[in-house]
Amino acid sequence: MKTVRLAGSEGTTPSPNGDDSLTVQRADVGRDRLIERVLRNPQTALLIVIILFSAFVELSNRNFLTFDNVVNILRDGSFIFIIAVAGTFVLVGGGLDLSVGSVFALSSVASAMLIANYGIPYPAAFVLGIVVGALCGLVNAIIVIYGRIPALITTLGMLYVARGMTWIITGGSGTQYLPQGFGDIASLRQWGVPLMVYYAFLIGIMAHVILEHTRFGYGVRAVGGNREAARACGINVTRTTLILFVASGAAAGLSGVLMASRLQSGQPSIGQGLELQVITAAIIGGTSLFGGLGTIPGTFLGTLLIAVLQNGLVQIQIDPLWQNVVVGIVLVTSVGLDQVRRARMWRGPARARA
Amino acid sequence: MLAEQFQPTATEAPCFRAVGIFKAFGHVQALQGASLDAYAGRVTALVGDNGAGKSTIVKIMAGLFPADDGHLELDGHEVRFRTPTDALNAGIATVFQDLALVEVLDVATNIYLGRIPVRWQLVDDRRLHDDAADQLQALRIRVPSVRVPVGMLSGGQRQAVAVARAVTQGSRIIIMDEPTAALGVRETRQVLDVVRELRAQGRGVIVISHDLETVFDLSDSISVFRLGRLVGVRRTAETSRDEIVSLITGSASVAVGGS
Repeated sequence: MKTVRLAGSEGTTPSPNGDDSLTVQRADVGRDRLIERVLRNPQTALLIVIILFSAFVELSNRNFLTFDNVVNILRDGSFIFIIAVAGTFVLVGGGLDLSVGSVFALSSVASAMLIANYGIPYPAAFVLGIVVGALCGLVNAIIVIYGRIPALITTLGMLYVARGMTWIITGGSGTQYLPQGFGDIASLRQWGVPLMVYYAFLIGIMAHVILEHTRFGYGVRAVGGNREAARACGINVTRTTLILFVASGAAAGLSGVLMASRLQSGQPSIGQGLELQVITAAIIGGTSLFGGLGTIPGTFLGTLLIAVLQNGLVQIQIDPLWQNVVVGIVLVTSVGLDQVRRARMWRGPARARA
Repeated sequence: MLAEQFQPTATEAPCFRAVGIFKAFGHVQALQGASLDAYAGRVTALVGDNGAGKSTIVKIMAGLFPADDGHLELDGHEVRFRTPTDALNAGIATVFQDLALVEVLDVATNIYLGRIPVRWQLVDDRRLHDDAADQLQALRIRVPSVRVPVGMLSGGQRQAVAVARAVTQGSRIIIMDEPTAALGVRETRQVLDVVRELRAQGRGVIVISHDLETVFDLSDSISVFRLGRLVGVRRTAETSRDEIVSLITGSASVAVGGS
C-alpha cells in the first residue's frame, strides 16, 4: 500500500506537464497482501467467534464436536443456507424477501401432497414443489416491479398469503409416510454426510461465482448500490429484480421440498420465523440491508454461527428459550461492530494523510 | 488509443445540435424553441439563470425524455433518442449532476459498468482494472487506485471518474451538467484539466455552469439561455463578462459599468 499516491488530495499541485509519476496505479497495486486481507476481513472475526464458542461448548460437553453432531449442525444449517444464499442476492440487489418461511412451508406440503394425494411420481413432485416456490417469487417480483409496492410490504403480504394457503390446502394436518426414494433425496448419506449438505455447498459455490465473477453479479451489486446509475449504464434493472425474487422463491421452495424429503412428511407448521433467520444469517455475514454489499462466504459464516449457537446452547443445557435472546444480541452486536469498522474504512485514507 | 479516432482539429460545422426544441412539464413551458450546437474539439459553455431550461435541453439531448417539438441533428442528420442507451450508442454521453456512480463498487467497475469485460462468461478482473487504469492515464485523471470504492473518493475524483466513464462509452460528444458545482478550488482545476484533455482529443464538450469564471477559463464559445430560449452565442475570446451577464439577465441593451 505504501506505493499508492493519493493524487489530488495530498496537498501538492499537479506538475504542469502531467508527468507519469502522478498517474494511476496498475491493477496489481492496491491488492493487499493475503495475510493483511485475512486479518482485516470482518469474516475473520466471525470465524473466531464461532471457534471460541465451539471450544467453550466442547469444554463443557464432549459430545459437541463429534462427527455426528457436526454433521447435524451442517444439515440443520443447510436448510437456512440455501435460502440465505438467494436472500443475500436479494439484499445485495437492494430488495428484501420476508416471505421465504411461508413459501418454504407451502412448497414443502405441496410436494408432499402431490405424492400422497395425487399419486405424482416423487421426482416430479420434487420439481413441482420448487416451481410453487418460484411462482410465489414471481408474484412478489411482479407486484414489486409493476405495482411499485415496496418489497417489504409485498413480501410481508406473501408471508401471510403463502402461510394461509399452506393451512388451507392441508386442512391443518400433516402428510405422512412419503416413499423412501423421496426421503433419500435429502437424507441419503455419502461418506457419512447427508446429500442435503452437499447440495447446500454446491449451491453456495455456484452462487459465489455468479455474484463475484459474472456480469449478472456485478449488475446485482450495481442495482442495489445505485438503481438509477445502473439503469443509466444500460443494466436491465427490471430483469435483474425479477430474477432475484424468483430465485429467492425457488430457493425457499427447494429448501422446503428438501425438508419434506428429510422428514418424509409435509408439515404445515414448519418454517415459521425462518425468514428472520435467513436475514439474520446474511446480515451477521456482512450483507447490508441497504443494498450493494454482501458476500456468500459471509452468509455461510453467518448461517454457521446461527446453527452452532442453536446446537451448542442445547448441548450446554441452556434453556432453548434463551436461544432467541442470544441470537438477537449477536445480530445487533455484529451489525454495530460492522458499522464502526465501515466508518473507519471510509475515513481511513483521509486520516492517514492528515 | 480511443483519442485517435477523432479529428484533432475543430471543424466549423456543428457535429451535434438541438434545433427549435419545445418542452413543457404540465403548465410550465421549460423550453420554447431552444437551440444548442456542439462542435468537435470545442468546449461549448451553456449558461443561464435558474429555470432557463439548461438542464432540460441537456436531458433531451441525452435521451432521458423526448422533446414536444423540434429535433436533434447529428452530423447534419436528424436523430431520435428514446432512451439514454440510444444516445450512448450514437456517441453522446452525459455526466449528470448527481454523477450516477455506484459508491460500493470500485473505480474500474464504475467506469465499465454495463460493459464489464468477460472471458468465458467470467469477469476478466485483470483486464477490467488495467483498461480502467489506461483510460484514466490517457485522460490524466489521478485516483489512488482503480480498486478503491468510489465512496472513498473526493468530489473532484468522483467527477473525474464519471467523466472517464462517459469517455469510455466511446463518446464523441460529452455533456456535463454543472461539473464543478460543490467542488473545491483544486478539485475544480482537476476537472477542468480533464475537460481540456477531452477537447485536445477532438471531442465535443458541452458544459453547463453557473460559474462564469470557469466558463471564461474553459470554453471556446458561450451559449446563453433565457426563459427557455437561446438568446445569444458568443465566442469566448470576443465577449466580456458584462455582455454575458446582461444576456443572462435580459438587460442586453443596458451597458453595465466596468471593463
